[in-house]
Amino acid sequence: MIVWLLFLIPLIGGLILLIGPIHRSWFAGASSTTCLATLAAAMIANGSRSASIIEWGGPLRLTATLTPMSALVAMLVPIVAAAVIAYASAHEDSCGLRRLIGLLVLFVAGMELLLIADDFLTVLIGWEAVGACSWALIGHQWRDAEAGESAIYAFIATRLGDLGLFVSAMAVFAGSGSFAFAGLSQLSSGYLALAAAGVTVSAAAKSGQVPFAPWLFRAMAGPTSVSALLHAATMVAAGAYLLLRLQPMLAPVAWFGPVVIGIGLATALTGGLVALVQPHAKKLLAASTSAHYGLMFVATGAGFPLVALFHLVAHALFKSLLFLVAGIAGERAGDYQLRHMGFGALMPMIAGASAIGALALAGVPPLGAGWTKEQIVSAAGSHSALLAILVMLAGMLSAAYAARFHLLSFGIVKDENITSYFPAPVEKAMPALLAIGSIALGALWLGGVHTGLSHQLGGALPDGQLWEIGASLALVVVGLVLGDAAARRRDLGTAGRAAMVADWLGLPRLVDASLVRPILLLSTLAARADDRIVDTGVTCTAWFGQTVSTLATLADARIVDAGVAWTAWISRQLSCLGSGIGEAMTDGLPTYAARLVATGGQQSVRLQTGMTHHYYVIIVGGIVGVVALLLLGL
Amino acid sequence: MLTLAILIPLIGAVILAFAPPANRQATRLAALATALLPLIVLIVVWMGFDTSPDAPAFQAVEDFAWIPTLGVGWRVGVDGISLVIATMSALVFAASIAWPIELDDRSRQYYAWLLFLESVSLAVFLVLDLLLFYVFFDLSLVGMFFLISRWGHGEAQSAALKFFLYTFVGSLAILLAIIALVLAGDGPLTFDMRVLITRHPYGAGGWAAGLTLFGFLFGFAIKTPLFPLHTWLPPAHVNAPAPASAILAGVLLKMGTYGLIRIPMSMMPETFARYAPILGAFAVASILWGAFVALGQADMKRRIAYTSINHMGYAVLGIAAAGSLFFGSEGARQLALTGAVVEMVAHGLITGSLFLMTGIFWRRAKTYQLDAYGGIAGVAPKLTALFILAAFASLGLPGLAGFVAEFQVFAGTFAVYPWFAGLGLIGILITAALFLTMVQRVFFGELPADRRLFSDLTPSEYAIVGVLLTLVVVVGVYPRWLLAPIHAAAAAITAGPLG
Repeated sequence: MIVWLLFLIPLIGGLILLIGPIHRSWFAGASSTTCLATLAAAMIANGSRSASIIEWGGPLRLTATLTPMSALVAMLVPIVAAAVIAYASAHEDSCGLRRLIGLLVLFVAGMELLLIADDFLTVLIGWEAVGACSWALIGHQWRDAEAGESAIYAFIATRLGDLGLFVSAMAVFAGSGSFAFAGLSQLSSGYLALAAAGVTVSAAAKSGQVPFAPWLFRAMAGPTSVSALLHAATMVAAGAYLLLRLQPMLAPVAWFGPVVIGIGLATALTGGLVALVQPHAKKLLAASTSAHYGLMFVATGAGFPLVALFHLVAHALFKSLLFLVAGIAGERAGDYQLRHMGFGALMPMIAGASAIGALALAGVPPLGAGWTKEQIVSAAGSHSALLAILVMLAGMLSAAYAARFHLLSFGIVKDENITSYFPAPVEKAMPALLAIGSIALGALWLGGVHTGLSHQLGGALPDGQLWEIGASLALVVVGLVLGDAAARRRDLGTAGRAAMVADWLGLPRLVDASLVRPILLLSTLAARADDRIVDTGVTCTAWFGQTVSTLATLADARIVDAGVAWTAWISRQLSCLGSGIGEAMTDGLPTYAARLVATGGQQSVRLQTGMTHHYYVIIVGGIVGVVALLLLGL
Repeated sequence: MLTLAILIPLIGAVILAFAPPANRQATRLAALATALLPLIVLIVVWMGFDTSPDAPAFQAVEDFAWIPTLGVGWRVGVDGISLVIATMSALVFAASIAWPIELDDRSRQYYAWLLFLESVSLAVFLVLDLLLFYVFFDLSLVGMFFLISRWGHGEAQSAALKFFLYTFVGSLAILLAIIALVLAGDGPLTFDMRVLITRHPYGAGGWAAGLTLFGFLFGFAIKTPLFPLHTWLPPAHVNAPAPASAILAGVLLKMGTYGLIRIPMSMMPETFARYAPILGAFAVASILWGAFVALGQADMKRRIAYTSINHMGYAVLGIAAAGSLFFGSEGARQLALTGAVVEMVAHGLITGSLFLMTGIFWRRAKTYQLDAYGGIAGVAPKLTALFILAAFASLGLPGLAGFVAEFQVFAGTFAVYPWFAGLGLIGILITAALFLTMVQRVFFGELPADRRLFSDLTPSEYAIVGVLLTLVVVVGVYPRWLLAPIHAAAAAITAGPLG
C-alpha cells in the first residue's frame, strides 16, 4: 500500500495548502515538506516491486507499482517541484497565491499517480488530472480573459490527445478483458496496433509534439513557476514517460518505432528553428521543450527508453532552472521580450546559473545533459547514420538557441532599469540549487556510473561511435557561434518571415482555421438547425392539428350548421303540412302522458315492498333489460 | 417497506394541498421532512440489499392482488438498478424541495405538487407491474406540467404544453406496446414484470415483436430524450423553475432509459438485440448532436439542457451495446450496462446540481445569457468553485462520477460496436470545450458593472449543492459501493435468454 502514498501525500498536502493560512513562508515550508515526504515515500516504496490493487468492482481496478524507471521519475518530480514551488512562493504575485501553491502541489499528486499506475484506468485518471490542474494553473490570472482562453486551448488540445488513451484502454479491454498494462502482451496484432496508436497520440499531445505543439505556447499565459513545473517534471514529461514505460510492450507493432521517431524528429527540428528566432523568452523555452521531448521520442522509438529516461532527468533539471531565471529576467524587464533584457551585470549569480542551464541545454560536456544528448545521437545511429546526423542538427539548433537565450537575457548590456525589482534570496537560491544538480549530473560521463545505473534500471545503452561524438560536438560549437550571431540581432523574430517562423511556423493559425473555427461554426449551425429543422416535424404536426381543427370549425359552421338550418326548414314545412293532425296530437300527447304516469305511479307503489331481495330482482331485471337493449343495438 | 416510499410523499402532498395556510418557511420544512423519509426508506433497503450471485434479482418485494382477472397487482420491489436510481431520485427530490425559491402565496400548492411528483416518480422505478408503471409514468407528466406552467417563467405555458403533449404521445405508444406485450405469448394474463421477464412473451420475435419494440423505443426515446425527438426538452428546461429543472433532468429523463432496460431489453431480449445497432446509432447521433448544439448556445440553461441529450446518449449507447446479444463478450456487455446505469446516477446528481445553480443566476439577475455575466468569480467564489466542480464532473474528469460512467460505457461498447464507441469519444472532447467556455464567459474575465452586487451562495444553497457534489466526488473516487448492486443486476440482464 505504501506506493499509494506517493499520490496521497501531495494530494493531502495540496488540499491543506488550498485552505490553510496565507503566508509566503508557510507556503514555502509546507510545500517543500510535502515534496520531501513524497520523495521519502518514493524511496521507501522503491524497495518493493509488488503491485497494490484497489478494487472498484468488476474489471475496474486501480493498480499501482513502481518499476525501476518509474521510481526514478517519481523521485525526480518532487525534487524539481520542491525547488519550483519554493521559488513560486517567493516570486509570484500575492493575489491568489494560496490557490496557485495548492494547485502546484496537486499537480505533483496527479503526476505521481500516473507514474505509479500499472493499468490504463489509473494512468488515465492521473493523465486527465494533470490536464485539469494545468487548466487551472494556466488560467491562474482569471481576470485576464486571454489567460482563460489559453487555458481552455491547452486543456482541449491535450484532451484531444487523451482520447488516444481512451482508445488504448478500450482496445486493451476488448482484447484481454482487463485494463492492465500486462494485458498488452495478450492482444491480437490489430488491437495492439490500436493501443499503440492511442498511446502515441496521447503522448504526442501531452509532450507538445507536432501537430499539438502550439498549446505549449498558449500555456505561457500562466505564471512562470507553472511553466517551470509543467515543462520540467509534470504534464509535458508525462507523454515521454508513458511512451518509454510502454515501449517494450508496444515495440512488436512494426510502425511504432518509425512513427515515434518521425514525430520526435520533426518536432526537434522545427522546434529548434522556432526557438532560434522566437523573441519571447518563455516561448523560446517552450519551443525548446517540444524539441527536447522530440529527442526523447527519437530515443524511445529507436528502442532505447533508458536513454530517453536519462535525458528526461537532465532536461527536468536544466529546463526548470532556465524558466526560473527567465521569470526573474521577465519580472525585471516588465515583459518577457528578450530584446528588453540583459541583466548579466546586475545579477551575476543568476546569470551564472543561467549560463549553466544554457550550456546544459546546448549539450556541452562535462554537463550531464551533454552525455544524455550524445546517447540519443548514438541511439539514432544504431538505427541509421542519417538519423544520427539529423539528431546532431537538432542538437546544433539547441546549442544555438541556448546561446541566444543566455546572451540576450543575461548578457551584459546597458540596463535601462525599467523596474526596481530585485529577486528575494529564495528566488536566487533555487536556480542555484538546480544548477548544482545539473553539474552533479555530469557524473554520468563516467563509465562506471552510467553502466551501473543502466544495470540497476534494467535498460540497454546504445554503442556509441567515435565519429558521432566528434561530429556532434563540432556541431554544438557551430551552434553556439550561430546563437551568438543571432543574439546580436536583438529584434530577431519580431517582424517579417522570422516572426511567422517564431509563431510555430504558422501551425497555430493552421489549427485555428482547420479545426477550431470549423467546429465552432458547425456548432452554431447545428444550434440553428436544431431550432429550425429538427423541431419542424413537431411544429408541423402542431400546425397540422391546428389547421385540421380550424377546417373542422369552418365545416361545422358551413355544413353542420347548414344541415341544422335545413332540418329546421323541412320540419317547418312538415308541421305546416300536417297542422291538422298535429293539432290533435299535440293536444293528445300531454293528456295521455299524464295518464300513463299516474298508472305507473300506482304500479310502482306496489313495488316498494321494503324487501331487499325484491329490489335486487328489479335491479337485475333492469340491468338485463339495459344489456338486452344494448345488444339489440337500440 | 417500499410502498411507504411511495405513500409517504403522496399523503404529504394531499395533506399540504388541503391543509390550512401556513407560512412559507414552515411549509418548506414540512415538505422537506416528508421528502427525506422515502430517502431514508430507500437507504435502509439498500443496506439490506443482497448482492451475492445467488441472491434473488428482485428484493424487498411486496405483492397484493388488485385486479386478479387482468393479472394486475400492487407489486413493488427493487433490483440493483432500480434501487440506485430510485435512491438517487429521492435525493434529487429532497434537494429540490429544500432549494429556496421565491414563491407567492401558492407555496402550499407548489410543495404539494413536488411531493406528488416525488411519489409517482419513485413509483415508476419501484413498481413491478406494467400497468402501474404506465399509470405512474403518465402521472409524472401531470405533476411536471403543473410545476412548469404555474411556477415557470418566460414562455412557461407553451413550454409546459409542448412538454406534456410531446411526451404524452410517447407514453401512448408505450401503452399500446405494453398491451401488445402482455397479450402476446402463452400463459395466464399478467402484468407482473417478473413473470414477463422470465417468460419472454415474443420468444424469437416476428413482425409483431418488431412493432411492439418500436412502440417502446419510440416512447422511451421521447422521454430520454434521443435525437431527433428531443426538441421538447430545451424549452421545458429554460422556462421551468430551477428545482423543477433539476427534477426533470435528474429524475424524469431517467424514466426513459430505465424503461428501456426494464421492459424491452429484459422482456424481449432477442428482438431488442436485433434492433440494438439502430438504437446505438441514434445514441451516437444524440451524443454528437447534443454536444455540438450545446456548444452553439448562448443561454446557459439551454446549454446545460443540451448536454443532457449528450449524456443520456452515453447511457443509451451503453444500453444498446449491453442488449446486443450477438456481439461482444458477456463481460463487455455487462460493463456497458453498468456504465449506463452509473451514467444515469451521475447525470442525475451532476446536472441536478448544475440546474439548481442556474436558478441562482435567474434569482439574482433574471437572465441566463452567458454574455450578461463575466468575472463572477470575484464576487461569488463559492458558487464559482462548486460550478466548476460540477462542470468538470459533467465533462467526465476522472475522480468524479461522470468519468466512472463514461469510461465503462466506452470500454464496454467498444468491444461490441467499436465504431460507435470511437465516434462517441468525440462527444467528450466537445463537452469539455462547451463547459470550459461557459465557465470562462460567466466566471472569469472582467466583472460587468451591473453585476457588482451579485451575491454568493447562501448557506442553505451551499449545503444543498454541496451534498450532491460530495456524492459526485465519492462516486468518482471510490464507486465500489455503487457498482456492486448495479453489477449484480446487470449480470442477470446481460446473461440474456440463455442465462
